[in-house]
Amino acid sequence: MPELTSEKHPGRVAAVLRELLVPVVSVAIAVIIGSIIMLIAGFDPIAAYSAMLKGAFGGGRQIGETLLRSTPLIFTGLAVAYGFRAGLFNIGAEGQLFMGGLSAAFLGIALAGLPQPLNIVIMIVGGAAIGAAWAFIPALLKAKVGAHEVITTMMFSYIARYLVSWLVTGPLKAEGQIPQTERLPVESTLPKLHEMFAFLVPSRVHLGFIVAVLIAMVVWWVLKYTALGYESRAVGLNPWASETGGISVSATTIKALCISGALAGLAGVTEVMGVHFRLFDQFSAGFGFTGIAVALLAKNNPIGVIPAAILFGALSAGGGTMQLEADVPQKVILIIQALIIFLVAAEQISRWILGQTVRRGVEDAG
Amino acid sequence: MLGDILTPDLFASAIRMATPIALAAIGGTICERSGVVNIALEGMMLFGAFMAVVGTTFTGSPWIGLVVGVVSGMALAAIHAFASITLRTDQVVSGTAINILALGLTGFLMEVIFGRPGTTDPVPRLTPVFNFGGPTDGVWDWINTIVFSYTPIVYMAIIIAVVGQWALFRTRWGLRLRALGEHPRAADTVGISVIRGRYSAVIVSGALGGLAGANLTLEQVGSFTEGMTNGRGFIALAANIFGRWTPAGSYLASLLFGFADALQIKMQLFRDVVAIPSQFFLMLPYVLTVIVLAGVMGRAVAPAAIGKPYEKG
Amino acid sequence: MAPPLVEVREVTKTFPGVLANDRVSLSLNAGEIVALLGENGAGKSTLMNVVYGLLTADKGEIRVEGETVHIRSPRQAIDLGIGMVHQHFMLVEPLTVTENIVLGIEPTHAGVIDFKKAREDVREISRRYGLAVDPDAVVRDLPVGMQQRVEILKALYRGARVLILDEPTAVLTPQEVRELFGVVRTLVDEGLSVVFITHKLEEVMSVADRVVVMRDGRVVGEIRPKDTDTAGLARMMVGRDVVFRVEKTPSTCGDTILEMTDIRVLDERHLEAVKGVSFTVCAGEVVALAGVSGNGQTELIEAITGLRKVESGTMLLKGIDITRSAAHETIEAGLSHVPEDRHRRGLVLDFDLMENVILGDHRQAPFAKHGILNFSAITEVTRKRIEDYDVRTPSERVHAGTLSGGNQQKLVLARELGRDPELLVAAQPTRGLDVGAIEFVHKQILAERDRGKAVLLVSLELEEVQSLADRILIIFEGKIVKEFMSGEASDEELGYFMTGGGGDKLNAGTGEVIVSDAGTDV
Repeated sequence: MPELTSEKHPGRVAAVLRELLVPVVSVAIAVIIGSIIMLIAGFDPIAAYSAMLKGAFGGGRQIGETLLRSTPLIFTGLAVAYGFRAGLFNIGAEGQLFMGGLSAAFLGIALAGLPQPLNIVIMIVGGAAIGAAWAFIPALLKAKVGAHEVITTMMFSYIARYLVSWLVTGPLKAEGQIPQTERLPVESTLPKLHEMFAFLVPSRVHLGFIVAVLIAMVVWWVLKYTALGYESRAVGLNPWASETGGISVSATTIKALCISGALAGLAGVTEVMGVHFRLFDQFSAGFGFTGIAVALLAKNNPIGVIPAAILFGALSAGGGTMQLEADVPQKVILIIQALIIFLVAAEQISRWILGQTVRRGVEDAG
Repeated sequence: MLGDILTPDLFASAIRMATPIALAAIGGTICERSGVVNIALEGMMLFGAFMAVVGTTFTGSPWIGLVVGVVSGMALAAIHAFASITLRTDQVVSGTAINILALGLTGFLMEVIFGRPGTTDPVPRLTPVFNFGGPTDGVWDWINTIVFSYTPIVYMAIIIAVVGQWALFRTRWGLRLRALGEHPRAADTVGISVIRGRYSAVIVSGALGGLAGANLTLEQVGSFTEGMTNGRGFIALAANIFGRWTPAGSYLASLLFGFADALQIKMQLFRDVVAIPSQFFLMLPYVLTVIVLAGVMGRAVAPAAIGKPYEKG
Repeated sequence: MAPPLVEVREVTKTFPGVLANDRVSLSLNAGEIVALLGENGAGKSTLMNVVYGLLTADKGEIRVEGETVHIRSPRQAIDLGIGMVHQHFMLVEPLTVTENIVLGIEPTHAGVIDFKKAREDVREISRRYGLAVDPDAVVRDLPVGMQQRVEILKALYRGARVLILDEPTAVLTPQEVRELFGVVRTLVDEGLSVVFITHKLEEVMSVADRVVVMRDGRVVGEIRPKDTDTAGLARMMVGRDVVFRVEKTPSTCGDTILEMTDIRVLDERHLEAVKGVSFTVCAGEVVALAGVSGNGQTELIEAITGLRKVESGTMLLKGIDITRSAAHETIEAGLSHVPEDRHRRGLVLDFDLMENVILGDHRQAPFAKHGILNFSAITEVTRKRIEDYDVRTPSERVHAGTLSGGNQQKLVLARELGRDPELLVAAQPTRGLDVGAIEFVHKQILAERDRGKAVLLVSLELEEVQSLADRILIIFEGKIVKEFMSGEASDEELGYFMTGGGGDKLNAGTGEVIVSDAGTDV
């Protein structure tokens, strides 16, 4: 039988562009469907989206707000993306995020005497460590017993929330009526970017954004250039071949899920240290779940997570304005988010629109 | 004090609390037996719960609300089925998207229909089926409370569990369902439509998820609060695994979680005596789920073809 | 004369890049056993899948009893009386024999299955065709030969008059093969038409009434076994004279490389799969483990390569104890492994060639230092390996999944041999490969041996074993039951010991097997 021809190797740039089109088209379709839903509910989608754009990019302060809201999403997006690359679904990023925030709130007070930047570094590392620790038991159960991480990390998510709820209403509660922790001393907080770089327009965006971008680059480098990243990817793609090649699937799984947890923990740390300066019950607006959409939209590429997170940060920043000016409930953003997830996962839809053929496996002829 | 805790209403409460988990778990059983993973039980339950309230609000009848809840669950399931079976997307991702969609949709519609976020006003509920009077202590009290005090959906759940168990192993439907999840190609070659079988299994699971949601709003609480399912859909997944992918097993496993829930509520009353913060009791079902999974996983075998999209030819 | 039961006329079928069937014509008559012979990739399975409705032909037609039909699904094929038993069984393992047989046409009352009637029906057919089965046995617990019977019964239950068997003997012991041939004779006497898809020349010679030979998607000839011999068939199959035995120089056995002493290994179900195996492999030697699938070879290989726990016994690799070693430790100790299933265990199909080449050594120099990968070294080494091992690919950056089977196997060899191991463990290294690739793999194995390395070969193919091995160890039910030097034993003798010598007498003088039950001459 004649040999099956190898796939023709496309030009690199053209291939990358073609790959980027799918997420773009997915977002476009989601936006359109979102408009339809708004129309049916009696809202004006054009007013809604223009209000959203105004709120997200209308000025220096708004752009800063967008970047602010994308900061935790970069971290949770990285967390979920790294997990996916290793074949794991860390749906419990929300819980690890909570624990990260908890550790920051606690350490911030406990380390009050230490000089900057030492205390900040310790707090950041501590948040990552506790996020990793929170993912450890689910990781262990997955590696040893095969327990599905979706269920276990989700359960730990609820446990974390109740834990925080108790601490914030009990042992760590600050004085006064509101269930929240003490405010962090200024030395334990992340400075706003406009305080560091005078040429920037004042806004709420803080150092955490820079840290997030740097971490994204580190994660990209780890996946591509280190043996650890190689092993994570190998196990994610084919655990049996990895095992035959001497890679310990259980060790790699545990490491990967813990790294994922650490990244999610960082989201909580930077939220507490940069935005709220204290911990309270509702401090996360579902960042862990939005991180899933971010990771998928970025095709699990750490660098791609940055623009994807900014997109969702924009949706969030613009959402308030949209509700205010066009009366559209912010919850519609969740609907758009779900649609994006669907469309990116079912990329056939976007590819069909783009006129691309979907690659199927080579048929077995014999 | 033990006597104050182990009262008939504790066990009755356990069965009541177990009901939505059990219904969702059985839905999960049927869906997964056909080879499709269903992470979206949580979303189907939430959406069903909400729409049940909507249906009841607009018609005044909780029975119509129940039907609306069931159909709503089926609608979300249809989306999951389309994505997973026809488009062959990753089933866990698709399920997660449905959960997020349900959150967004219920929140959005809350404001659009009821004008405000948070909680709806109370709606007429489904009342208990039997209404026997009689002495309020002794053996009769135990029997009356534990057997006869429930609302319709609670009984439905038990009937579905029993009938489902029998049907899975003794009817044509059950045999074909099991074949689909283990070796869809074998079923295909003997002329069974894999697509149709899986679609119907997924939609049935949506109906059960919606019914579970209706139980929450129309029987347990009487109104809808955003996010009220609170992870029950995921606990249902664990119950299904613990119950070895059988309807009866799922129901019994759900009783365990229902008991934890009931116990947690009961212990709140003793909070001062026991000096443990309420949050720790609230954590109980979730911790229990992790323990169950840790103990059971190695020995529980899922249907062989689960999660793998089927391609013809 | 009655029209043929099934007639295939000018059927053509293409896949992307491949012409699988090129204007093939063929007829199947009642009361006849036809062998469809050809190499891997000749188009035989494709053709039968078209007849069975799993695939649709692009051109041509099929006639059943003279009438043109359009078979678009197995359901239709079954309704027309065509049944097929695939290489990979279409059985639902957790279900019982009866449930599997009636699946899809269950006898029911209002949806409830009438198990009593189903069981009776199964017993009936089983009696009629002489295929004894236990209707209530769970399929998963049955031996492979019995599972195959259930598949045949499935077809008969549905009224098959044409039975297609796709490589049916690949998984059977010689005893089971003889039983199968007996069953097939019975079916044919009852008026069925049976088609054997196979690439095994001896089987064709012994059981077929007629042979249809395919090559490169075309029918190249039709002949009766009595009018030819295996050499003749081989020539038709391959298109040139085939050398059956590769020339090799006598081995020079050096140091003991692998020493296995009383190894015991458990299988998935915690039953003993390897029951006290001892042997050695020395440098410059090819030792072949010959045996039918399921006699412990897989578990033994997994134990050697560190993928499975050794319950008791010791394994030494060049004197180093690797009994408790994990996979990466055995690799470091100098062991290379070409696994049985190259898609699952051999390669990561979504990795490019470079990433596949370093699998197993990815933390060692020159590929990495302190855990950081060195891409220029990796690229250089990969390019060299691709060249040395004749892997046909446009670049080292394509995904391994886009390569053909032969090139994928060459890539695996490139990786495993590139490490310059002391011991090469190769499990079914030529499975599913075309002749050219098989030749290449055999050459590489012999080259290793000639360089003074040790090779442990596990293979089902007697031909491969006979041609490559210096020593042949026969494994049966977890034990080494016999050892032969190269050239000492005939295929028949090997087959005899592979079944533990089940019930046949071996003529010690001539080495011929005298068959004790009615059946075929082997």
